[in-house]
Amino acid sequence: MIKAVHLTKQLPNGKLLLNDISFEVSKGEFLGILGPSGAGKTLTLKSLIGLLDLTNGEVWIEESNNEHINIFNTKAKVLKKLRTKIALIFQGYHLVQRATALDNVLMGRLGSISTFRSLIFGFNEVEKKAAMSSLEKVNMQHLAQAKVASLSGGEKQRVAIARALFQEPNLLLADEPISSLDPKNAKIIMGILKELSTLFPVIGVFHQPELCAKYCSRIIAIKDGKKVYDGPPVLEESLLEFIYGEELAIVIPEKYAN
Amino acid sequence: MKTFLMEHKRWFQTLFVLIGMFLLIQYLKIDLTILLTDLHYVVELLNEMFPPNFEAIWDNNKVLNSILETISMAYLGTLFGGLIAFLFSIIASNNIFNFILIGRLAKLILSFIRVLPSLVVILIFVVAVGPGPFAGVLTIIFATIGTLGKLFTESLENLDPTSAQSLQSTGAHKLQTFKYAVWPEFLPAFISNLLYCFDINMRAAVALGIFGGGGIGYKLYLAMRVLHYKDAVALIICIIILLLIIENLSNYLRHKILGN
Ligand SMILES: Nc1ncnc2c1ncn2[C@@H]1O[C@H](COP(=O)(O)OP(=O)(O)OP(=O)(O)O)[C@@H](O)[C@H]1O
Ligand SMILES: [Mg+2]
Repeated sequence: MIKAVHLTKQLPNGKLLLNDISFEVSKGEFLGILGPSGAGKTLTLKSLIGLLDLTNGEVWIEESNNEHINIFNTKAKVLKKLRTKIALIFQGYHLVQRATALDNVLMGRLGSISTFRSLIFGFNEVEKKAAMSSLEKVNMQHLAQAKVASLSGGEKQRVAIARALFQEPNLLLADEPISSLDPKNAKIIMGILKELSTLFPVIGVFHQPELCAKYCSRIIAIKDGKKVYDGPPVLEESLLEFIYGEELAIVIPEKYAN
Repeated sequence: MKTFLMEHKRWFQTLFVLIGMFLLIQYLKIDLTILLTDLHYVVELLNEMFPPNFEAIWDNNKVLNSILETISMAYLGTLFGGLIAFLFSIIASNNIFNFILIGRLAKLILSFIRVLPSLVVILIFVVAVGPGPFAGVLTIIFATIGTLGKLFTESLENLDPTSAQSLQSTGAHKLQTFKYAVWPEFLPAFISNLLYCFDINMRAAVALGIFGGGGIGYKLYLAMRVLHYKDAVALIICIIILLLIIENLSNYLRHKILGN
């Protein structure tokens, strides 16, 4: 379970990037976050893992033994340990360009294995096999030995997803995980995320309302740093227009309309 | 008056430069007529230099040895200087080492090392350890720390921080992110700068030899001192070929590394 309370981020000039956002996500839920570009979706996701210095707000995460920890008010060591079980797929993937796809996936578990072993010996065969099967899940096994720098955008994105799967998290945060994927792969990934949400909470940011409505169990909409919708994944046209603004509604010039 | 100056700005600038030049020539007591009156010395010198005596090189094993000595000086100097520079650059890079003040200090030491001319440094080392290759190597190490320390720090600070951040967000240790995210991205810059510096250090090793650093530079110094100009020219040609080979080799390897 993860609970965000009053997430607020204000710039020194007074501008509110996050304006009092609260929500709670439990096991069994696949939460989709929608909102126009620059709304604060990435900032929200980053706050959930403590990567953003909030002006105000708390994030409570459930530890295994029913204990709840506020990540903004805990020791660095506890936070580090907590993070080994939280996977965050970054919007820009943030992979190591000069390492292979397989090595990038393996890095997902650096936090869980001993520092000494990772520095001297590296990963063992069991871990390499597991990383390979993570790559298989996202249809990337054939490019396991390719350098990330040489991969296409969608391939990089799937390596980042494979790393998150390999991490074996208790909480998965995905920032636009299907933004570069073709329709087929997008559906495969949405299927995987939905399946994982039966094991632990999954939160994803998307720009595809249709896919969200189909796969997510709940939707939050953010606009100008404010939560403007929180409810079932039924997206009426009026709501979409409200979220994205009327100017985005597709208008076909008469000339082309038939 | 002011407008007159402005309108003929170019003329005044030229005049200013010419007067300055004239005054400085006077100050240094340079007698330009020497160039004409002593021209026959130059012709005599050229006569004594040609043809170069290449036999002095093949006959004398010591010259080949001294070439090896010069290469070894440059190699060892680059290697050890590079390693120490690497340690320095880790401390000096703000994105890797968190103690900003210590990082500033490291940067200060590096720039202090850089402003000391090698020809001054070798004088100190010659006094300290005596003339010979050891003094040469120490000087090259010193200069290499300054040069590579700066280049390494710059490439480390210019690395894309996102890949390391993404590992830290999974709870990875700082040392782990260094090994897995920083090192692979830094490696090409590391090797290519080492090669570049090796190329520079070859020239330095030759030049430092003249000032007591040993190697082929020292052989050249000896040949000039006993007025064996034909031997000296052969040595100079040798040095030019050697430096050209090293430069091209270093360039070739660097392009190969940066290429992929
Ligand atoms: N460090 C910062 N300083 C100032 N403004 C920032 C900072 N980080 C983000 N912002 C601003 O906050 C707003 C929200 O950013 P965020 O990355 O959360 O957008 P987003 O909803 O993820 O958009 P997108 O769909 O384009 O990814 C943007 O307008 C951005 O310019
Ligand atoms: Mg975003």
